[in-house]
Amino acid sequence: MRGLRKAFGSKLAVGGIDLDIPHGCFFGLVGPNGAGKTTTLGMVTGLLRPDAGLVLIDGIEVWRDPVAAKRRIGVLPEDLRLFDRLTGSELLTYNGLLRGMPAAVVEARAAELLELLGLAEAAGTLVVDYSHGMRKKIALAAALLHAPRVLFLDEPFEAIDPVSARTIRRLLERYTAGGATVVFSSHVMELVERLCDRVGIMHLGQLIAEGPTDQVRAGRSLEDAFVELVGAGHAGAEELGWLGTWSA
Amino acid sequence: MAGYLVGLRLALLRNGLRRSNWAQKVALALGAMAGLPLAFGGFLLLALVPRAEPRAGLLLVEATFLLLFCGWGLFPLLSFAGDASLDPSRLALLPLRPGELVAGLSLAACVGVAPLCTLVALAGAVVGFATLGPGVVLMVAAVLVQFALCIVGSRALLCALSRQLRSRRARDLVIVLVSVTAVGFNLVLQVGARLAQRLERADLEALRPAARALGWLPPGLAARALVDAGQGRLAAATAELAGAALAVVALGWWWWRSLERVLTTAEPAARKRGGQPAGLFPRPLRRLLPADQRGAVAAKELRYLARHPRLRVAWVMSCLLGLGLVVFVAVTDGLQHPWMVLASLAMTFLASQNSLNQFGFDGAAYWTQVAAGADPRGDLTGRNLASLLTGMVTTTVLALVLAAVTGGWLFVPVTLCLGLGVLALSLGVADVVSVRFAYPLPEDASNLWAVQGTGQGCLVGVVQMVAFGVQSLLLAPLAALVVAGLVAWPPALVLVCPLAIVYGGWLWRVGLGLGAAWLEAHQPELLAALSPRRAA
Repeated sequence: MRGLRKAFGSKLAVGGIDLDIPHGCFFGLVGPNGAGKTTTLGMVTGLLRPDAGLVLIDGIEVWRDPVAAKRRIGVLPEDLRLFDRLTGSELLTYNGLLRGMPAAVVEARAAELLELLGLAEAAGTLVVDYSHGMRKKIALAAALLHAPRVLFLDEPFEAIDPVSARTIRRLLERYTAGGATVVFSSHVMELVERLCDRVGIMHLGQLIAEGPTDQVRAGRSLEDAFVELVGAGHAGAEELGWLGTWSA
Repeated sequence: MAGYLVGLRLALLRNGLRRSNWAQKVALALGAMAGLPLAFGGFLLLALVPRAEPRAGLLLVEATFLLLFCGWGLFPLLSFAGDASLDPSRLALLPLRPGELVAGLSLAACVGVAPLCTLVALAGAVVGFATLGPGVVLMVAAVLVQFALCIVGSRALLCALSRQLRSRRARDLVIVLVSVTAVGFNLVLQVGARLAQRLERADLEALRPAARALGWLPPGLAARALVDAGQGRLAAATAELAGAALAVVALGWWWWRSLERVLTTAEPAARKRGGQPAGLFPRPLRRLLPADQRGAVAAKELRYLARHPRLRVAWVMSCLLGLGLVVFVAVTDGLQHPWMVLASLAMTFLASQNSLNQFGFDGAAYWTQVAAGADPRGDLTGRNLASLLTGMVTTTVLALVLAAVTGGWLFVPVTLCLGLGVLALSLGVADVVSVRFAYPLPEDASNLWAVQGTGQGCLVGVVQMVAFGVQSLLLAPLAALVVAGLVAWPPALVLVCPLAIVYGGWLWRVGLGLGAAWLEAHQPELLAALSPRRAA
């Protein structure tokens, strides 16, 4: 992406980002709340029109030929609004047919994904009755259904139980090993550090650091590097000193 | 503690008003303005009727007390999804005992427009029966006990049912029941008003046994205590008042126990009625709908029609309106003409107005279509297909029933052809309006009081009126031909059949083309319109 920029009224959400993500890479986008991660992912995936800038996926310009670009990508947005009056299984069928996949292929892949993500029993339950974690998983299944070359995941591990998180991690690792690219945003630094070959740190709409994970953390933990780069303060013991005095 | 809970209730009322947009504020003001006339109307009714018609007095007070009690039981159940102060589980994490909560929440429940209106109306009964003497004290006490019955009974019921009311199924059901009963209530009011006009003294006497039975219910006891105190039977009044007060205590005890259960036991896991997945396409339509994007969108729309409470309401209302039309034609002398079958087209046209905001129920979930790069033409066609199917089913059923009533079977094919044309034409206009003037529907499908087209009610109204006008204008040539066929030249009725299909189909294609072309270039803008907070 080149010069990607977006403002909401007078508030600059993303202030001109340049970023290259190589094929087959596991890329982590981190940053404090309001840093512009979700806005960036929205613009890259064709959900939010940028004010300026260029996004190329697999050589295809997203905002010039969105249909061709979207064929190559899968998206799991942070805002999990789904067609929740469909059952899990119906939602996957809907997504597959929407992307022009043959019904038989959709059915077979949907069954496999539901099984793998532990949703087989809830396949006939309306999504509106799913827990937050289950909604994440069904949305992830929908994003994977058409086997995209690039996967964009906004906070994929939020509210996911440890067993499912492990399954998803292995799935994504296998996926990138096969040449696909995964771009995901997260607040969990340990996870990003463990999974990602490359990492980008965003702050106040700017990309303030980007590169191979080892290079960005420069001998420290990613969390330390992150805190240092975004200049977060330390909550001192002198504040909230009353927390040690019990009320009852 | 009671002071804090009253303060909490006041803060919730104040902040609810602060967070509302102007349309909601106007609705609240109108609600309050409607409450005050009701309160003063009730006051005057209870104050004047017993003096003018002493024999009807007891019956009236008993009926009013009972209605108020039932109203207080029912309305909070319907507002549960939208009023945070009604859900006791929200206080579960605070270190409060049920006794403190019962006292505090009872006082907090006395704050608001509804309690004020209830007290004003009840005060009318004191005026209506008041005589100088010690009886007045008992009468005031009877009114206060009745008020306590309403408050404590309402909150006890609410607390006992709170877990069920939090379930999605119950809230979905409430929304449909309320809408249907609102229509039913209106009907009962109208029938009741007509009956009341015919009511004579003898009929009143016939109602007396029923009144005697109702008099043993707690609100009836309070009413009898009030009337007996007014007529100087102080001993009887005291006994009846004690009975009603005992009922308040019993309800309070029930509330206490329910609170204890709600605050100290875990919420049972929701029952998942999953079963075997049935597939996206409804079984009867599996062969009819194409297994592609158009079919998927149409199937999704049809599933939503059956499962989304607001769409269910629209569907049920259409059926009730259709039924009303049939009953009207059947019972009105001089309306049983064969050509009355064509009247079902009015329902077809009205039902097609639901399609003016075809993306509204998608809301922010529309990102699915955008992210999938869904073809806008296929997307719109799928939505139109679902509307066409439901519209044609409604038209066919209505036309057949009207034909059975009027004997106008020959008009059924004409109606069906015209119905297809009317629907196609309306959908053509709706396709353009739906993409250019989309607005999100309330996110909380189960909150009955959530406002549609939040913050843009005026614009939505104007756009829908203009669309209605354009559709009517485009329908005029067909209407003219039908009238000509009925009045002067019958072959016009045959001519209009293919013409309606060709004309409607052509206009649909034009509208679909315009809508799809705009959407092709503006999917992210439509998504932003459907999820305003995303762009905020």
